[in-house]
Amino acid sequence: MSDHNSGPRAVADPVVDITDMYVFPNPGRPGSLVLVLDVFPNAEPAALFSDVVDYRFRVRPVTIPAGAGGAFAVSETEYTISCRFAAPIQSQGSGPLVQDGICTASAGHAAAFRVNDEEGGKAEGLRVFAGRRMDPFFLDGVRIAQTTVTRKLALVSPGDSRQHRQNCLSIVVEVDVATVFDAGAGPLFAVVGETAMAGPIIVRFERFGRPLMKSVVLGSKNFDAVNRDLDIRDLYNQEDAFHLGPAYLGAYRARMNANLSFWDGLDQKTDWPLDADGVHPLTELLLADFMVVDVSKPYVEDSYLEIERALLKGASHETCGGRSPNDDVGDTLLTLLVNAGNGPRISDGVDGQAIPASRAFPYLAPPDPNPPAKIELQLDKAG
Amino acid sequence: MSAGLSGPAAATIDDEILTTAGGLALANLQAQIEGQARRAGAGLLTISERAELIDLVALRGHILGCVADYEWAEERAEELVRVAPADGVAFLARARARATFHRFADALTDLERAQRLGADPAVVGAERAAIFQAVGRYDEALAFFREAADRRVDFASLGALAAFYAECGDVDAAERFFDESRARYRSVTPFPLAMLDFQRAHMWMAQGDLQRARTWLSAAHRRLPGYAPAQGHLAEVEAALGEPDSAIARLRPLTISSDDPDYAAQLARILHEAGRVAEAWMWRDQAAARYDELVTQHLEAFADHAAEFWLEAGGNADRARLLAVRNLEVRQTPRARELLARATRACDRGQATYPARGRDAV
Repeated sequence: MSDHNSGPRAVADPVVDITDMYVFPNPGRPGSLVLVLDVFPNAEPAALFSDVVDYRFRVRPVTIPAGAGGAFAVSETEYTISCRFAAPIQSQGSGPLVQDGICTASAGHAAAFRVNDEEGGKAEGLRVFAGRRMDPFFLDGVRIAQTTVTRKLALVSPGDSRQHRQNCLSIVVEVDVATVFDAGAGPLFAVVGETAMAGPIIVRFERFGRPLMKSVVLGSKNFDAVNRDLDIRDLYNQEDAFHLGPAYLGAYRARMNANLSFWDGLDQKTDWPLDADGVHPLTELLLADFMVVDVSKPYVEDSYLEIERALLKGASHETCGGRSPNDDVGDTLLTLLVNAGNGPRISDGVDGQAIPASRAFPYLAPPDPNPPAKIELQLDKAG
Repeated sequence: MSAGLSGPAAATIDDEILTTAGGLALANLQAQIEGQARRAGAGLLTISERAELIDLVALRGHILGCVADYEWAEERAEELVRVAPADGVAFLARARARATFHRFADALTDLERAQRLGADPAVVGAERAAIFQAVGRYDEALAFFREAADRRVDFASLGALAAFYAECGDVDAAERFFDESRARYRSVTPFPLAMLDFQRAHMWMAQGDLQRARTWLSAAHRRLPGYAPAQGHLAEVEAALGEPDSAIARLRPLTISSDDPDYAAQLARILHEAGRVAEAWMWRDQAAARYDELVTQHLEAFADHAAEFWLEAGGNADRARLLAVRNLEVRQTPRARELLARATRACDRGQATYPARGRDAV
């Protein structure tokens, strides 16, 4: 449930439903950035990309100003990587449907590819794969949901991930930063993944910055005294991540303050005291919902939120940040929210997908041809 | 197609709203259903997700003209209520399934229960209003549709108002709301838009404006080529406009892909009018057998269509009248009254509009 089915609109049309985004430096090639956008949860073999949707990454350089106080300074310069797909055609008359696509960078580089071709497409500074892969996401989402209902940590070990060996549609883009972005840009970048209407009028369907924001941080309505009856996720999805509109900003803040306080209180101590106005210390940082990566640092796993945590402490970050497919983002986020790293690491009892992502293009494991027929959810184990 | 006579030109209609290619969207719907059905079989879906799966299968049933999908949805909705008797979502799902089969009183009871169990009042209200409209309780339906549109002006709320005025025959109001609803479409799935255009075409068919009906049926068909009701009604319009060959070509694949007898019935009627009597009787018999089956299983849902069939290709006014009476008991709408009046007149004349086999199958 990183972002799977993240709002009524996404449920209605999985082809625009961004389930996840991963951003990490190429493990074998410094200066190269890998961007992954996953859509269509539980994709069966027939699933394909829409021919009228722009699947895109928006990338902006960011800096950390002195005395940042928990906020990045985001440049107005923006680079985009946009993937579009043709309507599928039948191969060899009556064969299976095949779909072609093209990936275009704002600087003009373009790589054509065929969906599900492992080799993908290549152009100067760009390499692209699109197709069905095993969904790298793992989390015991059921027990996290149970936690919000019972108001106490319901996690067990081992936990159960509903995405275990499930598949999705993935777009993997490898970008040579110096070639495709401006020379000297970075090394810190903020990345947002989006699905939007392809065409002259931009209609944004979904956006994705950090995992679990819509489900864990914004989804629950129970703790929000201001907008208890509002499913805020579709509104949030349609916002420009780099410029939130004023209309619902108060609603997002109220929801985040309420939900973040709930998570902080689960260990019966307060690690994130609210300010005099009731604002949670993480609210502004998380409202700036983009993934921050440092391409000057080498690839390392489990670096998710390391840059943000360093920012909050006023210290220098040490890793590439971002998020690799094998990162245990559930544990990292829960630990940050519940004890701010002042206590033991909080674990949901799920530490990886059945087949981890590799360190070679296209990184994500091939699709499971036969996803499990049955997964036992032993909910009685939850306390 | 003449824009002047039949409304906006095809290019204008298609270009103003981009949606995923119809075949691709249908393949993805199928993939979505298969994925969720597999997960449902594995016990991985929540009650809400199971209700969503039921909705997806019912949607496929509507698009492809597949009664078996509706039956599957109804069975699963019954099962959902059994396994989750305290969950409003389950009763909401069953209410929808029952309304599909025109079991309106049962559906209203389920909606009451759903609301008591905490289902979203706006969703419950929309379902209730749709049933009020279907059974001719127009004032109550309109009150809700207006309130919903006041609360939130979007594709769905304006589309509901359009469909309401279309059914009431207020074409000016309906056209205005159809346009406004289309203008507020913010998705790439072609299904809701094709369904809206189909409703618009249906209104023009009822008004006897076959050119305008063709414009919107063609729009729905271009957007979603697999949309069986659009294809079937397009055939009906073409036949009425004197293009039987095109109509027959459209209907033949539907008689194979769909288990709804409407297409075989239409094909029988058009073939007969074209003088291809023996072939017409083959399709007539196939439709008759399937109507008998469906009327036995789902009387309320198929009474009106079966009555239409017996009035026309079926050639049995007495059977038509009996079914029209039953249909009027289920819903007191002008259309149901008109159907009964036509059936009664046919009985009074002592024959159906479509001659009996003995005189024609020579």
